[in-house]
Amino acid sequence: MWRTNLKILALTLGVLAFYTMIANVIPQLQSEVPAALDLTSNASPEALVAAGEKIYNGAGGCTACHGLGTRAPNMLTDYAGQGPIGARCGTREKGVDCKAYLYESMTQPTKFVVSGFEPIMPDMRRQLSEDQIWATVAYLESQGGEVTVTADDIKKTAPAPAAGGGGSVPPGGVAVTSTMDPVALYNEKGCVGCHQLDGKGGQVGPSFDHMGARLKADYIRRGILTPNADTAKGFEKFAGTMPQTFGQMLSAAQLEALVQFLANRK
Amino acid sequence: MTEPSLVALLQAAADTAGAYGRFPGIGARGAVWIAAEVHLMFAAFVLGVPMFAVVTELIGIVGKDARYDKLSKEFTRLLVFAYSATALWGGLLLFLVTTLYPRFWTHMARVFSLSMWIYAGLFFIESFTLYLYYYGWDRWKVGRAKWGHFGLGILLNIWGTTVMFIANGWLTYMMSPPTGVTAETLPEKVGLWNAIANATWMPINIHRLIANAVFGGAIVAAYAAYRFLAATTDEERAHYDWMGYVGNFIAISTFIVLPFAGYWLGREIYQYNQQMGITMMGGFMSWLWIVQAVLIGVLFLAANYYLWTGMGRIPGAERFTKYTKWMLTLLVVCWIVWATPHTMIASREELAAMGGAHHPFLNVLGVMSAKNTAVNLMILTTFLSFLLYRRANTRPTVAWAKTGTLVQGAMFVLAAGVVLFYGIYGYFVEAIVRIGFSVYQVAAVLLCIISVTVIDVFIGRGAESRGEIQWGKMPDRSQYALFVLAVTFTWLMGLMGFARSGIRQHWHIWEVMRDTSVDAATPALGFAARMISTCVLIFLSLVAFIFWLGTLAEHAVAKRGATHELPAGVPAGVPPGLPASAPGD
Repeated sequence: MWRTNLKILALTLGVLAFYTMIANVIPQLQSEVPAALDLTSNASPEALVAAGEKIYNGAGGCTACHGLGTRAPNMLTDYAGQGPIGARCGTREKGVDCKAYLYESMTQPTKFVVSGFEPIMPDMRRQLSEDQIWATVAYLESQGGEVTVTADDIKKTAPAPAAGGGGSVPPGGVAVTSTMDPVALYNEKGCVGCHQLDGKGGQVGPSFDHMGARLKADYIRRGILTPNADTAKGFEKFAGTMPQTFGQMLSAAQLEALVQFLANRK
Repeated sequence: MTEPSLVALLQAAADTAGAYGRFPGIGARGAVWIAAEVHLMFAAFVLGVPMFAVVTELIGIVGKDARYDKLSKEFTRLLVFAYSATALWGGLLLFLVTTLYPRFWTHMARVFSLSMWIYAGLFFIESFTLYLYYYGWDRWKVGRAKWGHFGLGILLNIWGTTVMFIANGWLTYMMSPPTGVTAETLPEKVGLWNAIANATWMPINIHRLIANAVFGGAIVAAYAAYRFLAATTDEERAHYDWMGYVGNFIAISTFIVLPFAGYWLGREIYQYNQQMGITMMGGFMSWLWIVQAVLIGVLFLAANYYLWTGMGRIPGAERFTKYTKWMLTLLVVCWIVWATPHTMIASREELAAMGGAHHPFLNVLGVMSAKNTAVNLMILTTFLSFLLYRRANTRPTVAWAKTGTLVQGAMFVLAAGVVLFYGIYGYFVEAIVRIGFSVYQVAAVLLCIISVTVIDVFIGRGAESRGEIQWGKMPDRSQYALFVLAVTFTWLMGLMGFARSGIRQHWHIWEVMRDTSVDAATPALGFAARMISTCVLIFLSLVAFIFWLGTLAEHAVAKRGATHELPAGVPAGVPPGLPASAPGD
């Protein structure tokens, strides 16, 4: 019977290995979380376009419909002899300029539907933040047209901050703010209690000033997520005191914003 | 503020703010993934098997055939062990979710608390009904008591189905919360029934109900295959050959209708949210359907192979063996078409040579028109295999038998013609029109299956036998096909679970609660496949252990001389007690 058992085991493992192999040799597409942006101040048109291109081709999911041109018009190629979207967007709706039309298309998609297509476009405000939407608009404008989106547009449409520091309290009572401002995060998440920034804050942990000159981004990220992995020289007596919960207190985008901010403080 | 008090304050704030816990090694997502998947596999088994256990018992009562009753009892014996495993994995899942995803759990509990209490209560009632059903088998085996016992089996199914429907309410709320529920909505304001009766609840209920029967049948068939290979007497081999056949019959016959429930679910997902539907079919998950095609192709081939091999034990079946190679060819061609991807991953030079991402020839096969045609033809071919198996040892005696058979043949030709016509016509119309064609193709196949079966039942009335089926006269290799089916069905369940859960992407609850954990990104298929294989391996190992426990108990009973407890009990020789033809005659 042992021979039979071994045969069954081998067959089972072989079948599992076959399916696992098939799934590993096909293209590996991962659904990314839309990266939060911080474009509210001094964002150049180039930065907006670059950010928008990433959203359009990635987490925004735009190409699933607009890339084929069957479910929705292709944005990047000519349509009905009118050129790509940046060239044709200003003439779609009477009295509505390109920027307004594109913004409206993403936030009120059923208001104007191109003839021959179904009203299947979702309101992108449920998926993307205002700055992500404006960055996408800038990218689409750049496709055959002039980029007119500015940081002021983002400020105008950004939701008013809620009382108590702009955070929302989701079900469960956990405060999760939407801010991407690293300085705001520094104060809000309690980093100020232990780390100095611009001469302010506690001295329980290493100063944030010039941190980028001493440490690389990967090391900083690890330090936030698993603070007890290493102990900074001179702070041995405080080893183990940093909370290990910043991975949960910060969204992935907030964490990244903070890491890049610190890594750039040379 | 002193340093220690500041640190303590920060730590306290951090602890209360924790939306996610940590799990060593495989992470929180991995831990919950495994617990949920293995729990679900056991749950599918314990919900699927009672369905056909009670049907088999009814056949035994009505037909006054004790062998069906014993078969039904043997199905149920497997349940007793599997129930404990289901509960244990369910408990583990609960602890993992509450400790690793406390924010999410708080939201769910605030919406669904009442249904959770009812769920727990029903689980108790279901468990006790099962114990009564199994342990009362021999006590209530005649007269009115037997019907009472059968009633317990019905109740067991009602409790189990209700429990599943409640749990489906929770998971479908995560993927399709009622319109109007937003991140700002207080959970208490969602409304329990409003949350449960969401857009995908009933399609999932029906899909899972059918899938559970498929899964239960496949696992029972694998159990029978194992016992067949381990059998030491002809009687045992005959019994487990028959049991394997019944399990496989249930799995495949219910599996054939599963895609129709899948279409309904897919349509509801599209109607609920186009973007979610597109993510599922045309977005990052589009390659998942290629993997699914590979698996279902294996299922079709293994199931047909088992039937064709089984015809070797049926007197009179040899007249049909000449068709086998044609059916095999058709199945393989359709499988290849179905598994052809639409877009190719190629180097820059290859892309330039092809003139784009679409291969000039394969592109034609990689679209839905070709795939729908292929899968419908595979269903028709498998149904034909079953029909030939069923007719193998009979000689119809009704006067209109020849005409009836011609009509049956015409129904096959007509159905295949409709499938091919709309498959080809689909290339010449807009996508929005083409989508509707699949309904016509499916309707033609369903109509063929139903009408041909009805005709066959009447043709078979009073038919002469060409000789009794030689149960037990099966080559060992046929039993390995049953193992392939069980492993593949289990893997397919894991894959479809990933598809259903993964289309939420970075949302715990679609557009209501974001996943802000380190695992928020939905992984690629390669990672998912490794997780699925791990879950399948854990599940099958535990199932093997449960099967072994069953045989252990059986040996102990046999040693005590309580032979009436043995499951087989089939008379010697060519088992006269076993049916001379296939179920459904």
